[in-house]
Amino acid sequence: MFVLPPPPPRYTIPVAYAAGAANGMAVPVVETNNTITHPERGCPLQVGEGTYILQDDLLLATPPPHPSEAPIINPNPLATLPTPPTSGVKLSLVTLDPRKKPPTFLKSTATAPQFGDGNPALAAPPVAAKDAAKRRKPKNNIIKSSSSFVSRVITHETSAKRLGDRDSSGIFAFANINRAFQWLDLSSPIKEEHLTKVLFTKAHMLCHDVNDHTKTSSHLDIVMGSSAGDIIWYEPMSQKYARINKNGVINNSPVTHIKWLPGSENLFMASHANGVLVVYDKEKEDALFTPEANGHSEEVERLPLDVLKSVNSKNQKTNPVSFWKMANQKISSFSFSPDQRHLAVVLEDGSLRLMDYLKEEVLDIFRSYYGGLICVCWSPDGKYIVTGGQDDLLTIWSFPERKVVARCQGHNSWVSSVAFDPWRCDQKTYRFGSVGDDCRLLLWDFSVGMLHRPRAHQASTRSRSSIILPNLQTNNRHRADSGDNRVRSDSNETEKYSENIDQTPSHPVEPRSRTALLPPIMSKIVGEDPTCWLGFQKDCIMTSSLEGHIRTWDRPSDSVKS
Amino acid sequence: MKLFSKGHKNGASNPPATAPPVKKDLQVPQISPLEKRLQDMGSIREDGSDKFYGMENYGNTCYCNSILQCLYYSVPFREAVINYPQRTPMESLEAALAKNLRYQNPNAHLEAEALAAKQKASSPPSARQAGVPPNPNQKPEDKESPEYKKKVALQTLPILETKNNASSYGMSESLFTSLKDIFESVVASQARIGIVRPQQFLDVLRREHEMFRTAMHQDAHEFLNLLLNEVVANVETEATKQAFADKALPPTESADSLGMLTSSTGSKSPNTTRWVHELFEGTLTSETKCLTCEKVSQRDEIFLDLSVDLEQHSSVTSCLRKFSAEEMLCERNKFHCDNCGGLQEAEKRMKIKRLPRVLALHLKRFKYTEDLQRLQKLFHRVVYPYHLRLFNTTDDAEDPDRLYELYAVVVHIGGGPYHGHYVAIIKTEDRGWLLFDDELVEPVDKSYVRNFFGDRPGLACAYVLFYQETTLEAVMREQAQEDQATAAAAEAGEAGKSNGSPFSPPLAHAQSAPMPPENTAPFTPLSRIPTAPPLSTYPEEPSEHSLASPRSVQPPLPPIPDESAPPLSPKKSDHQLRKERRALEKEKDKNEKNRQKEQDLHNREMYRREAEELKRAIEASRADTVDFAAENGSPRKSSSFGFLKRGSRSLSQRLSKEKEPRVSTSDLSTAPLLPDAVPEAPLKEAEPAHSFTKPVQPIKPIHQVQPVQSPISSPKDFPPISNPKQPKQPIQPIRAPEPLAKDQHINHTKPGHTARWRSFSFKKVS
Repeated sequence: MFVLPPPPPRYTIPVAYAAGAANGMAVPVVETNNTITHPERGCPLQVGEGTYILQDDLLLATPPPHPSEAPIINPNPLATLPTPPTSGVKLSLVTLDPRKKPPTFLKSTATAPQFGDGNPALAAPPVAAKDAAKRRKPKNNIIKSSSSFVSRVITHETSAKRLGDRDSSGIFAFANINRAFQWLDLSSPIKEEHLTKVLFTKAHMLCHDVNDHTKTSSHLDIVMGSSAGDIIWYEPMSQKYARINKNGVINNSPVTHIKWLPGSENLFMASHANGVLVVYDKEKEDALFTPEANGHSEEVERLPLDVLKSVNSKNQKTNPVSFWKMANQKISSFSFSPDQRHLAVVLEDGSLRLMDYLKEEVLDIFRSYYGGLICVCWSPDGKYIVTGGQDDLLTIWSFPERKVVARCQGHNSWVSSVAFDPWRCDQKTYRFGSVGDDCRLLLWDFSVGMLHRPRAHQASTRSRSSIILPNLQTNNRHRADSGDNRVRSDSNETEKYSENIDQTPSHPVEPRSRTALLPPIMSKIVGEDPTCWLGFQKDCIMTSSLEGHIRTWDRPSDSVKS
Repeated sequence: MKLFSKGHKNGASNPPATAPPVKKDLQVPQISPLEKRLQDMGSIREDGSDKFYGMENYGNTCYCNSILQCLYYSVPFREAVINYPQRTPMESLEAALAKNLRYQNPNAHLEAEALAAKQKASSPPSARQAGVPPNPNQKPEDKESPEYKKKVALQTLPILETKNNASSYGMSESLFTSLKDIFESVVASQARIGIVRPQQFLDVLRREHEMFRTAMHQDAHEFLNLLLNEVVANVETEATKQAFADKALPPTESADSLGMLTSSTGSKSPNTTRWVHELFEGTLTSETKCLTCEKVSQRDEIFLDLSVDLEQHSSVTSCLRKFSAEEMLCERNKFHCDNCGGLQEAEKRMKIKRLPRVLALHLKRFKYTEDLQRLQKLFHRVVYPYHLRLFNTTDDAEDPDRLYELYAVVVHIGGGPYHGHYVAIIKTEDRGWLLFDDELVEPVDKSYVRNFFGDRPGLACAYVLFYQETTLEAVMREQAQEDQATAAAAEAGEAGKSNGSPFSPPLAHAQSAPMPPENTAPFTPLSRIPTAPPLSTYPEEPSEHSLASPRSVQPPLPPIPDESAPPLSPKKSDHQLRKERRALEKEKDKNEKNRQKEQDLHNREMYRREAEELKRAIEASRADTVDFAAENGSPRKSSSFGFLKRGSRSLSQRLSKEKEPRVSTSDLSTAPLLPDAVPEAPLKEAEPAHSFTKPVQPIKPIHQVQPVQSPISSPKDFPPISNPKQPKQPIQPIRAPEPLAKDQHINHTKPGHTARWRSFSFKKVS
């Protein structure tokens, strides 16, 4: 008979419950400077058209926590306290040089109507002709601000001179990192030194966008959405800002994505983590939001879209302009179609929802292979949509045909950002890139011809129909009353399609065996931390990562089709 | 992320409909977050889905607690355990509960504190209670600390002691029966929350398994392995017993079971005991393509879980894909091709041919590093989605696009494999996600599940993931419910902005509710799936095809003499069950003697047969050493209980890869005993269950530093899992048709092979 020793303490090592920053990243104690490195022969991207050379790697300095907001130290890794949302570094790039604009592929020149056209309440107030050219600025000076929302603003000592001397065709970049928001001039020889750095007190900026329509050499309209739900309209040249959705008065959930409405001076759309899409006017005051009567209430409830305030509402004196509830799942991202009529929204529940946002209608819903969707973008001609998500896949959807055309397998983890390279797209072939949590950058080519080759046709002698049958059956049962099997799709049916819908359009998940599989043309680990943003410019590819690395690859010479 | 805000407004913010049946006393100062989430539960259910019990930790038994909790909330598993071989009659359970369930004063901790305060005042330094670990950082006890909460829970919640109740359902005490005892008493208890003391379970575990006898930290995945295999073994032992009993009966009464039995010389497990297999088992196919003649040969093996290697910044999807990645057999690992006759270079890959209904994924966070000569924990960031499909299926797999949902995560907290803590985060049927930390049960947010990718401070990483099959419809329905729940919550709480309470509002319980609560039919979450693998496809049991083929919603019925077995459905009235039981007992008595005789006879015969088979197999395996390809598919036929062994083998399958280095040392010492021990186990029902484990004790706690504690060495300490080696198939150049024989030859005749795999696997790992 032996006696058991007294039980050891359950948490045997104190370090198991050691303190740490809430989101797992090192927290600096002092304000530091951005650094830049030029890795020699580092990380070339080799593809058919040549080799993309890594030009530099700019590391943004993570700001120390605000003195009043000491980092949350919870020694218990099991603490059930929710951690505040944050996001990796994302960039908004802006150039004033028209030659650097991406090529467009739209044939029809008919411009889409503006959002809210036809609502007299939204008509812009007449302005005197001479004022029209002059952009309206936000009201408050951010440097002198006494707001508790903004902590402080650090401007470069020679920022005025730098702005004056700079090459007007250069690229500005705006980047969020932790609680800081930096304005960089990428054409400057000292591009690692920010022009302005705004430090917020508590909130992290999660997303931002520059208005392409109103930009001039003396005016840039930037909106940024924060983890607190507040939105900042910021004009960097004059250092003015305004705060919208202050204290979350309209919606208090974090802003996950924000974009100016295409072609609009004033209106921008923000998606919130609680599944709400809101259009705000940068110049309107906030008002406590109460849902209005549904503008579509007389119709059959067929859209999974709750229009809590329609753009057609008569009450347009205050924000929001419109307020749509899509779901209660987080909206991860959204993207406007090049023809400015449609909107693709991806959600954490794994759905891709296509909207006619001008009509405030959901046209179609698709599902990821599995897991949530994270990012979405349109091909430059508006024919294809590419999504990336937690199934480690990129999925190409045909917009006119309303179906999945291919799944792209190559990432080793979740896909965080996807973008088309309009300089390498033409009518038949498309180039897009993607980055993910696996620290990789992947480039993909597809052409119309290769896409319409379901794998099952080429490969298998076995009949797969028995395998997928169950799926289809349940599906058919599910929609038996609609009497119309929409599994097949036809490019000409788009119109008819949206008319004879008597219930939520929704598509089954295509089995793997019937979907074309696309391999990447290039896959490269570009860093040691998850990559979270990707952008194509005329002369370079850029990525940014969770910890603040902004990497730029120069295109091979002559690679850009002009 | 939306912060759930209104900590104190809960009562008020509840819509009236949900308020009434709440038993909480408004006078009680604090109501725990769990109680909050359990408001409006309605009356006690019969299926146990509304019980939320913590489990007492007896010192490093968190590995056991976390796994038991995961299994309890694996609905079909719980149903099967409760209903096999039959449900214990209510009265007997209640009688037991009357003794075993102890209600405590809900205010005990307040009194205790007052007392402690008093004591402190008089004698400052050591007012600490025994059993409560010291908490260096907090001088006055931090009321938010898990330690404090656990202490309070232990003092206030009803304590449920489980006693051996095996005789009431006619089994001898085993790990399975003590598991069943725990499940049954929790299900039958009238208290919705409380604390189970799994003492009896641990006693049995420790009695039968040397390595768990120490108070040391154990590996949770290994324990899961062991437990599932033990359950299989116990159930099969029972089934054999039953089958013999049946045989003694007049044929008319037990035609079915007799039919089963007739084929039992070859295949020893009747279908009705296969419920563990039904749930956790899948089939892997290794496809080997000879690069000379291009011929593809296949070999199947079964698994109860998959162990996957990890990479920094990857996802489980990618880890699974890597698992199936092509592998070259070359140089010393050349493949013996039947077709062109000779060792050839070949390509090999493992694919999943039959998908399990419950996919247990073991993330190999503990990796042997050669320079350090020990296991190290990998803190790689490995993301796991709430839903999953498998990419690595064969072309002819049934339902290759099956959708899985994550429903339980076992988290390991700590810096290495030899210490630390385990907790489980589990999605309950209709109360959302809960954190089970020994005695403590706390509701958590759905997003909480994502805190354990491995990149966060605090050393807490997901270690075992449980995915269960589901359908897109079910997922969408659930998401719609989440929508409603959060919408209601949001509306109710729009005003409150404070985030004082970390917990979800009361309505959040509807979050992630997989099923409408009123649906009590067993197996509901899974049974809807039209594509569940048919029962009848086990290649080694072709003769049973006709019996097995109709795939029902319910798991197969256990064989019980003279009467159709009770269905697993909890809906079956207790009355009926009782009646059945009485009848059964009578029948049993009547046949007792008969059976005994029969058994003895049969046993002897079986032994003889086994011995013969073993000999044959050994020979065969020797022959096979040189003729690797010949064994494709053949193992099935060679052993009557091969099934069990394969199950356990592939269980530890991947595990072994990393474990290899030490496998060899410990293996040599234990292995000689295994071949005897294993064949006997399922058949010798007359023998006390633990007897055959005795011999296997060459590894003493003295070795702790390595073999004993480490997750790696352990499988070979348990005869039932006996063949830690086999699992290595994916990388193993040679293979015998008969697993047992193989083990032998590995260990004795050709030790050199072990070394070979080892090096190969290292290559692969690195």
